[in-house]
Amino acid sequence: MSNDAATIDSEDVNENLRIIYIRGRLDIQGTDAIGTKFTVLSATDKHRVVVDLSDVDFLASIGIRSLVTNAKAQQQRGGRMVLFVGENAPVAKVLKTTGIDTVLPMFADAAAAREAALA
Amino acid sequence: MTATTDDAVAELSIRADATEVSRASAWLEKTGLEHGVPAEQISHLDQCLNEALANIITHGGPAARSSPIRLSLYVHCDAGSGQAAVTVSDSGIAFNPLAYRQKPGPQTLAETEPGGLGIVMMHGYADDIRYRYGEGRNHLTFRVLWIQGG
Repeated sequence: MSNDAATIDSEDVNENLRIIYIRGRLDIQGTDAIGTKFTVLSATDKHRVVVDLSDVDFLASIGIRSLVTNAKAQQQRGGRMVLFVGENAPVAKVLKTTGIDTVLPMFADAAAAREAALA
Repeated sequence: MTATTDDAVAELSIRADATEVSRASAWLEKTGLEHGVPAEQISHLDQCLNEALANIITHGGPAARSSPIRLSLYVHCDAGSGQAAVTVSDSGIAFNPLAYRQKPGPQTLAETEPGGLGIVMMHGYADDIRYRYGEGRNHLTFRVLWIQGG
């Protein structure tokens, strides 16, 4: 269990796809720390986003709230957001426990995540 | 196991502030491991603890900040099984999360409400949740169980 603060950055893979990397703890403090930047990075005109949660140490419901809010905004702009969790079993379990994986696609494979985002 | 202050193996007082949540998580991890709670069960308790603290900080009102939040850890192990519980006691607005009616899960992203998942999370990670209001405080206890060597 790590207590690292949350960080966020991004990579534009091509003209259609952006990867957003989130690391650290998405608890009430961490989610607040990255919230504004996450919204700005999500509001891309590229319209397709993969959010990489593979290095997230802890995901609380307030972190899920941020994911859902930005995914809905992206969808309303005609885009799509998917989640990449890799081998991060605790985060995958949180998403399954809350049922969010049924409305926000979640992938363990990076290539599959990118393919789904661009589909 | 009776959740009273008499048999808590560890206690911590924190302020009702977001900056205190990671300190509470670190305390739970350290004291849980010291008392033989498996890492997986500590992580389940931590999920519940974070949701409980977020509720207090967000919805507890000024009364929640008038006195510290008290955390108590209880652990009981025998030859075949173990159990651990955390009680969170706060002076905020009375709120019984067990009275909260869970909505059916959303079917589409468009109909998904961003909030309300904290209670779902607690029910998903705790084997037992109890609530009482007394002495002007909420007392929320969540418990996890495990099989020794399992």
